[in-house]
Amino acid sequence: MARMKFLCDAERCIECNACVTACKNENDVPWGVNRRRVVTINDGSPGERSMSVACMHCSDAPCAAVCPVDCFYTTDDGVVLHDKDVCIGCGYCFYACPFGAPQFPATGAFGSRGKMDKCTFCAGGPEADNSAEERRKYGSNRLAEGKLPLCAEMCATRALLAGDGDTVSDIFRERVTWRGSSGLTWGWGVAYSKPGLRRGRDVEGKATGQD
Amino acid sequence: MNNNKQRRIPCSAARYSVLMALVALMLALPFAPQARAEGGEATGKVVNPGTELWREARDAIKGTTQVEGVDSGVLIYDAGERWRQYRMQQLVPYGAMLLGGMLGILVLYYLIRGKIRIEAGRSGKVVRRYTASEMVVHWFLAITFVILALSGLILLFGRWALIPVLGPEVFSIVAVVSKNLHNYVGLLFSALIPIAFFLYLKDSLFNFKVDGKWFRRLGGYLGGEEPSAEKVNAGQKSWYWVAMLGGLVLVASGLFLDFPNFQQSREWLQSAHIIHTIAAVGVMAFFVVHLYLATVGVEGALESMVNGHVDANWAKQHHDLWYEQVKDTAIDAQTLKSGEGGSAIGERKAADA
Repeated sequence: MARMKFLCDAERCIECNACVTACKNENDVPWGVNRRRVVTINDGSPGERSMSVACMHCSDAPCAAVCPVDCFYTTDDGVVLHDKDVCIGCGYCFYACPFGAPQFPATGAFGSRGKMDKCTFCAGGPEADNSAEERRKYGSNRLAEGKLPLCAEMCATRALLAGDGDTVSDIFRERVTWRGSSGLTWGWGVAYSKPGLRRGRDVEGKATGQD
Repeated sequence: MNNNKQRRIPCSAARYSVLMALVALMLALPFAPQARAEGGEATGKVVNPGTELWREARDAIKGTTQVEGVDSGVLIYDAGERWRQYRMQQLVPYGAMLLGGMLGILVLYYLIRGKIRIEAGRSGKVVRRYTASEMVVHWFLAITFVILALSGLILLFGRWALIPVLGPEVFSIVAVVSKNLHNYVGLLFSALIPIAFFLYLKDSLFNFKVDGKWFRRLGGYLGGEEPSAEKVNAGQKSWYWVAMLGGLVLVASGLFLDFPNFQQSREWLQSAHIIHTIAAVGVMAFFVVHLYLATVGVEGALESMVNGHVDANWAKQHHDLWYEQVKDTAIDAQTLKSGEGGSAIGERKAADA
């Protein structure tokens, strides 16, 4: 069984934001909601790196753990999805998520945020695959069509990789071997280390290279 | 794996082959966990320029991004994990234990001690204890507090207590109603706290001589003679201060959480949530004691907040020092029942004077 993962190669990302645009377009994401974003660190200085971040579909997802209505579930492919019919828009997942993935269509007075929205790994939601209802609430379901998330498919430099964790890490490992530099799988330590191993700040963000 | 690497690297020049094999080995080391553990010292000498950056990213440094939003420039924010640990490992289990424990203690107390009766029986005379405004504010505060407490408890424990009973869809409706009640009624509660603070302040200042003795004897609840008390005994005064100071903390942190439209950062929201929940659980733990003593625990107590009067013998038994001051204003209980309007106002004037 595949275990879907994202991996952004910081040596390749050129901050073009095509992944962000592709995601918004493919999923008809409402204004103000960005399921994916590109963050640049040390912008304009030596050592500048850019990273495309969205929901990482964690193994032991903090959002799912803290949800008061238990609306999250993990698919057989390891994709973390949620049920918008059950979500109450409390914002706890946003408090807990290390990647800032949960988004809300509103941030109004009296805690009115609307239903949470986040990256679905282009895998829709609990409704029937590619139904109108699913499209309206969650956007595209490319996985059901045998396709991978559009953000990664669109990436011009192939910085953003999406797919089965083993395949993704094989590709990345090969790259690292050839270029002989940083072998850092950004975010994997936080997202995919086994439950119970995560110890907050003490955990080094090193490549796991395996799952 | 090492063999793979060596095969891939061009080996046409024989004099480079040894060097290349070494380089390949070094590159492969970080990917072999067993080698990483043993070879940590050796690879540590090669400074990886990405490592520092990674470490910085884990410390929630802010980068730049085209996406506008709260903390959108932060790549990885570990404090969420800390908040998760707090909520799931501390708040939920310890909160349940504390509140469940308090309820258990009260049930046990009731079974052992039973209702605290008016020892001398009802005298048929009553004295005014609370004014109309004191009663109105009390009940507004009580109703809003109970709504806030129940809705808060549903959001905190409903996942374990109610989803198995109601199912996720029905519980979602209960939860969204609770969330909105909590967020709107909270504002009413916020308005009531300062009013209540000043309204009940006069009677709730500690008198160290009388109240110290009351505390030393634990109010006589665990046996022994009931110590002297003023209009408000030391336990009730404590409840006043817990409710008011706790209420103030709840209001301040609650209002902060209630208006995310000011784009508060996650760090502040998490802190406010932690403060809010600790205060809430603390106040609720005291509240159940107040609720118990005011209803099933003590005979003749509840009526003070229903019609403003208490039986003279009740006052003598529980608030002797206060009774000495007001005993001359006692009226017949029958008078209170028959001609409520006129006499009640007359009595209130007497009590205020």
